[in-house]
Amino acid sequence: MTNQQQNTILGLVLLAVASVWTWLVIDTIPPGFGDGDIGPRAFPLIFGLSLGALSILLLIQAYLRARGVEKPEGQGAEAGSSIHWIPAFTLLVEISFYGVLLEKTGFVIATMVIIVLVMWLNLKVRSPLKIGLMSVGTTLTCWIIFEKILGIYLANGTWINLG
Amino acid sequence: MESFFQALTLAFSPYAIGAVGFGTFVGLVFGSIPGLTFTVALALALPITFSMAPVPAIGLLLGTYIGGMTGGSVSAILLGIPGTPSAAATVLDGHPMTKNGEASIALGTAVIVSVFGGVFSLVVMIVSVDLVSRIAIEFGPAQIFALVLFGFSTICGLCGPSLLKGLISGVLGLMIMTIGLDAIEGIPRMTFGSINMLQGVNLLVAMIGLFAVPFIIEAFSQKDDVSFGDRPMAKVRTELPSFRLLFKNLWLMIRCSVIGTGIGAIPGTGGAIASFLAYDHAKRFSKSGRKFGKGNIEGVIAPETANNAVTGGTLIPLLSLGIPGDPATAIVLAGLMIHGIVPGPALFMNHEVEVYGMYVAVVLAYFWVLGLQLLGIRLFVHVLKVPREMLAVVVLVLCAVGAYSIRNSAFDIYSMAVIGVGAYVLVGLRVPITPIILGMVLGPTLENEFRTAMMLSEGELSIFYTSPTVVIFFGLAALIIILQGISELKLRRRSRQEVQTTDA
Repeated sequence: MTNQQQNTILGLVLLAVASVWTWLVIDTIPPGFGDGDIGPRAFPLIFGLSLGALSILLLIQAYLRARGVEKPEGQGAEAGSSIHWIPAFTLLVEISFYGVLLEKTGFVIATMVIIVLVMWLNLKVRSPLKIGLMSVGTTLTCWIIFEKILGIYLANGTWINLG
Repeated sequence: MESFFQALTLAFSPYAIGAVGFGTFVGLVFGSIPGLTFTVALALALPITFSMAPVPAIGLLLGTYIGGMTGGSVSAILLGIPGTPSAAATVLDGHPMTKNGEASIALGTAVIVSVFGGVFSLVVMIVSVDLVSRIAIEFGPAQIFALVLFGFSTICGLCGPSLLKGLISGVLGLMIMTIGLDAIEGIPRMTFGSINMLQGVNLLVAMIGLFAVPFIIEAFSQKDDVSFGDRPMAKVRTELPSFRLLFKNLWLMIRCSVIGTGIGAIPGTGGAIASFLAYDHAKRFSKSGRKFGKGNIEGVIAPETANNAVTGGTLIPLLSLGIPGDPATAIVLAGLMIHGIVPGPALFMNHEVEVYGMYVAVVLAYFWVLGLQLLGIRLFVHVLKVPREMLAVVVLVLCAVGAYSIRNSAFDIYSMAVIGVGAYVLVGLRVPITPIILGMVLGPTLENEFRTAMMLSEGELSIFYTSPTVVIFFGLAALIIILQGISELKLRRRSRQEVQTTDA
């Protein structure tokens, strides 16, 4: 995907975000009373409108560049940087799963499980020794440092708890 | 004077010294690993400071910041890959020195000049913070609004190649910060009836997500691309430079310290710009200019002095005006606020002891840098051999611990994941992240001061154009945006001419 195509998609997404945001702001936040009371609606509304205006400018810029009126930014029209969508989405799911596990099983079990999962799935590590050492080592080190030495509260599980 | 002695007692307690040392060590390790910046270290270190007293807590954060700034030179010199962007200029002569078998003296010189730059900027900072605070104490809500707007526009304008994307990023940060209860009237905004959303997006959670999650995704995606394990570095040690060498380059060190401190004091600039400017300056005025790029020690001295001098410079607007110049100082600001220390004109009146404690902590951090780099350089060499993806696994756990410990809520972990993945996508689309975080930090001040000013003036907008201070700040903000726009246009025109010449 070229820079211009990426900028066009970004501009469209941001314009949609700005439109929905502005609509929600008008629909759900009351305005001020006047006479110096700006009210809680004004700033979110200004920001939403500003984002809308800036995304329209981005779209115009992308259109002009696509027509060759303006020189593209970066290294050239074809230099669109790559986004690794699958690792990004996988990590989003894994962190969310980690959050659920922390609440249900507590820090010790949740951390060991998530490290095993990440090493197996993301890093493609197949050595049980390496996975075991990494998961137990990291979990215990964190547990000792945070819970025991620094006194930081780590999650306790509602189903089961080890630490 | 009594406050100063009180601060000395606090900062020289074994606990505080240990905290500064720990922070410096973490900063050095994170700074020396390419891709794992000290901003990530700061975001992860922040939750650790919750249970600490203010001086050790801020000392830990400042130690991480200073250690990280210095640590970037290790991989820059040994591997030719800067550990942090501010060490990029060090690569130009530092790595050729390694190839020439002079890595030890390059590392030793880098440490000494870093300490020099840092202490120089600390002295300038001590004088400036008090001076700027005395001026800013007269500011009312309208002036503060204009000042924050100026700081914000500088950051949006200077932080990336595209002004438009910088502004978009800043507005996104401002929007995120309006979510939650309105600070003045207590009305929920964009909370969709969720109790978790009432407190809004936590700044610390957002910081962890913005800086650490993109690193994890990158490390997992490119796990085979970066490998330092096979590079021969085992015999490296730190060799102190001779007094003759240092004395010979003293004037260069002073000039680069001035460049670094000055650049650092401008919000939105930072270590990378300062170090390249200093390198260019050294090359231009050096008698051995032709040797630059081939392993000239001056090419290490200049950028390393300047990028460490930035640390003191960035603290000037942070402490005196409450405006962070870069993401790292934004995290330090968050750390200060957690401990009830609100930077700004009234800082000295309310927290004199803590401020002096911070000054002492900075000096302590440089002593730690010196000791750790001189004695523990081999450890950092080994750290560089640890696969990046394995470090990312540990960072993932630290992210979750950090996000969870802020409010003991799994909701913050979900928020962190969403913000982090969103940040990764934005970085991929070349939208700078810095304005988002600074929009989040400065957004509430911007809104609250504007609304307070309007209440005081009973709705009269004239409050924003009758004060000369306000007009000056508005003018400067507009000037920055216009100048950045003109420079972008010039750059495009030049590129177009180059294309036409090539085509012809």
